[in-house]
Amino acid sequence: MVAESEWRVNGPAGTPGGATTMHIPDAVLGPNAAIATSLIGGAGLLYSVKRLERQLGERTTVLMGTMSAFVFAAQMVNFPVMMGVSGHLLGGVLASVLLGPWAGSVVVAAVLIVQCFLFHDGGFSALGANFVNMGLIGAIGGYAIYAPLRRAMAGPKGTLIAAMVAAWFSVLLASGAFAVELAASGRRGDFLRVLGWMALVHSLIGIGEALITGLVVRFVLLRRPDLLEPAGGIVDRPAAAGHWIQWVVAGLAISLAIAAFLAPFACESPDGLEFVGQKLGFLPDESAAPAPPLPSPMPDYQLRLPGLDQAGLATAMAGVVGTLVVFGLSWGMARILPRPKHEGATLDAV
Amino acid sequence: MPSDALERHREATSPLHRLDARVKLIAALAMVIAVIAMPVGAWRLYGAAGLVLAFAIGISGIPPGEIARRWLGLFVPVAFLAAMLAPSHPARAAQGLAAVASSILARNGLALMTMIVLAGTTPFAKLLTGMRRLGVPLVLVATLQFMERYRHVLVEEVERMATARRARTFRRRASLSWSLLGGLIGMLFLRTFERAERVHDAMIARGWTGAIHSLED
Repeated sequence: MVAESEWRVNGPAGTPGGATTMHIPDAVLGPNAAIATSLIGGAGLLYSVKRLERQLGERTTVLMGTMSAFVFAAQMVNFPVMMGVSGHLLGGVLASVLLGPWAGSVVVAAVLIVQCFLFHDGGFSALGANFVNMGLIGAIGGYAIYAPLRRAMAGPKGTLIAAMVAAWFSVLLASGAFAVELAASGRRGDFLRVLGWMALVHSLIGIGEALITGLVVRFVLLRRPDLLEPAGGIVDRPAAAGHWIQWVVAGLAISLAIAAFLAPFACESPDGLEFVGQKLGFLPDESAAPAPPLPSPMPDYQLRLPGLDQAGLATAMAGVVGTLVVFGLSWGMARILPRPKHEGATLDAV
Repeated sequence: MPSDALERHREATSPLHRLDARVKLIAALAMVIAVIAMPVGAWRLYGAAGLVLAFAIGISGIPPGEIARRWLGLFVPVAFLAAMLAPSHPARAAQGLAAVASSILARNGLALMTMIVLAGTTPFAKLLTGMRRLGVPLVLVATLQFMERYRHVLVEEVERMATARRARTFRRRASLSWSLLGGLIGMLFLRTFERAERVHDAMIARGWTGAIHSLED
């Protein structure tokens, strides 16, 4: 790895100077959850590959190989956030906006496999879970949000806004899926707490992801708008016009993401968190004798993270603010796009 | 170029290096599954797995310091996760917080070292051939082979583009602005797409049908 100067093209996680890991490592998920997600992920990947092969034929390998390498290289570009902290693109929604949902998920799978085997970012046993979260839910689920939104708002402006909104929701959905997988690993007591924290942290990461995705999509819209046409782009994207299933999937995905923000409210009532915790698994066995009255107001059975008491409120706020911010940003960026009449000129210039 | 630190160990010729990639892949998978299936606090089992690993590391000739360094590199995020998960772990009441958290850490470390030994003794190309022979679909394997080929090319390309951009828009600030970096990625996409078309044309001209052949086959 090069000794980078400060312009921040860094190595992936695990290499000196690389970003911290974003993927689930080994031993965090229980064996049951690992096996279940591996089966789901494997089946989903096989299906995506089959769909793609039918569309692209022998072109699949070249296009998917280079595009996976593109996402891998794009992840090296570090975006300065503040005070030495930097973030990078995740790329699931970007890939499926540019290439269609099936290609998007295959690209994510290839990137995850290389990161797992060569850079040890993400565990071998968690490869399935990581693919479910980022490939199936991130790329394909993100596309399910993108496609109907894009159709509702015609033109390049609609493409940009839809891509950014989909990027934001896909990050949230992926983090929610991680909370579910943890709960399935036998840590049910954690579910709401982890969900709340995940939603909180990822509402920030999601804004960054939406912004980077938007910047890249805007660039492509300015230079090669033809590549983002629904049909006749790089890959024929499912043009099944106005299919009602797309709306159902999109609605479901968005409401799940919103539910992630509202969930912590379920335990925001006084002692609610402790109650849920005791009831569901902070204690050795949920069927054990009723919880004895706790001797101290600050029982030590739970890690006290700062602000935990307000987690519910903070998370819901983050959800509302984040959604507004992403809408605002995408609206603002869409204003800079050329009006349709200029599109011909841009094309000629390329 | 972000090559991983293990690259220079991969061409060594220990018995582990010469072993069929399929055997190593299956052994590593079995080891990782065994490790994550071990119960919390089963320190003797961890010790046994650690001995097996130590033996493998000894044969492979990968310097233990190298492995320790990579383990430490991933230690902080994993430790954070372990600290977050331990308080509500089912085994917590019986064994205590520290035991649960360090069990998660220990098992993660064992799995990670297994993967390091696998990666350190097997060139990625051989690993992919092994996957193919184990029944992973050809399209996926060929895609990964392609990705491995162009990963370095594209990372170098984005580095060149960033250098060029810095040279043209010189400022005292170290980092480029977000919209510049976004444009950089967009440009990289367009160049990659055009490169893919050129490569594909050239491959068609040379009789490409969809499968990568190597001299080992």
